[in-house]
Amino acid sequence: MKKVPIKIKVNGDWRELAVSPGDRLIDILRDQLDLTGTKEGCGEGECGTCTVNLDGKAVLSCLILAAQADGCTILTIEGLQKGSKLHPLQKAFVSEAAVQCGYCTPGMIMAAKPLIENEPEINDSKIRQHLSNNLCRCTGYDQPVKAVLKASRERKENNDV
Amino acid sequence: MTGYLQIEEYHRPQDMAQAVDIFSRFRNSARVIAGGTDILPKRPGVKRIAHIDHLVDISDLDLDYLKTENGHICIGAAISINRIAESPLLFSSAYDALSEAANAHSTTTIRNRATIGGNLCNASPCADLALPLLVLDAILVAAGPEGKREIPSASFFKGPNYTALNNGEILKEIRIPLCHEKTGTSFLKLRRHQTAIDMALVNVATSLTLEKERCKAARIALGSVGPIPFRAKEAESLLTKAKFNNEVIEKAASKAAEEASPIDDVRATAVYRRKMVEVLVRRSLEKSLKRCGQ
Repeated sequence: MKKVPIKIKVNGDWRELAVSPGDRLIDILRDQLDLTGTKEGCGEGECGTCTVNLDGKAVLSCLILAAQADGCTILTIEGLQKGSKLHPLQKAFVSEAAVQCGYCTPGMIMAAKPLIENEPEINDSKIRQHLSNNLCRCTGYDQPVKAVLKASRERKENNDV
Repeated sequence: MTGYLQIEEYHRPQDMAQAVDIFSRFRNSARVIAGGTDILPKRPGVKRIAHIDHLVDISDLDLDYLKTENGHICIGAAISINRIAESPLLFSSAYDALSEAANAHSTTTIRNRATIGGNLCNASPCADLALPLLVLDAILVAAGPEGKREIPSASFFKGPNYTALNNGEILKEIRIPLCHEKTGTSFLKLRRHQTAIDMALVNVATSLTLEKERCKAARIALGSVGPIPFRAKEAESLLTKAKFNNEVIEKAASKAAEEASPIDDVRATAVYRRKMVEVLVRRSLEKSLKRCGQ
């Protein structure tokens, strides 16, 4: 087996790694970079728990080989907070009680982030469509949808990132 | 650490010649990978893709374009399905079926990575993007050790997970002839729970071209109701030259249902699927007709 050298920008820092050709992005995020905020659920693209942002787009880190991410910019849940300041999505998920066991939350938030940044006219049905790849087994979906709506409004009002 | 999947080597060729060379060198033990969304989730629990030791990533071959050239819409095989769904080039009644199929495919998160070439080469009987390409008379361009080759979409699918691509051949481009006539197309998909992630129970694409209020050409493609996505040619022939009314459309829809060969599985029964072919074909034809010349 031939190791693959890769260079990826994770949460703002360039990292150089040697990965196995069969490693997925989630494997190196969790096991090599200790970024365990990203969770693995089904491992086959159905549940959305492992969602991260790759070059600004929501993607499933269980369906990308680490080698394929070479040269890319990756944002995980750990990269959202600025110092002690939570991202509007994180704040809204707390205030709207959209977190119960918390396992799906990082994926939900990372799926919602490109949506609230790129979609000027956000509404309930757009959010539901956008989060249709993210399963939650505790709260149902009303609270997460409300949280995304709230974060989007807050972001607009504060012109926040 | 040996990695999640047991793969000997990951290749990232920088041009098509290199890609074809690597792919033909390893032949049956190599697979092309682009988005990876069909390859990586295979066989849960079994961490090996059957007999595959080499992955050839075609992401650096600049196959992510969608443009008009020489009377065709040319689509690079490695373009993401979301980019097809969002492309203004396809916002026209003649190509609606392709936009609709791209939007109906899985979820937006998966579509950020999944490619049109992957959807075709995986050759699932329920491949959403196969159906609009069948009704649009698309041509698939493959690159291989012997050079380029054009394959009509109607002869591309050979069986479940089996295509007309030869050993060492890589799908490069999809070409759709530009349409200058009064044509309307449409795509419809029925899922078990109507959740985005589920695959189709039945999916259908249709195309109608009108001339002097009569049908000049009709295309009906059916998915998930046979070993491959295919055209219901007998149903099409009932429409050709016909003047449209409800009766003609209903006859064609019921003929299409006869041409289907659905099976029972966990998602639905064969009887239900056949009935739904009739419903979806009728609705899709009505939609295509409304869109003609719009």
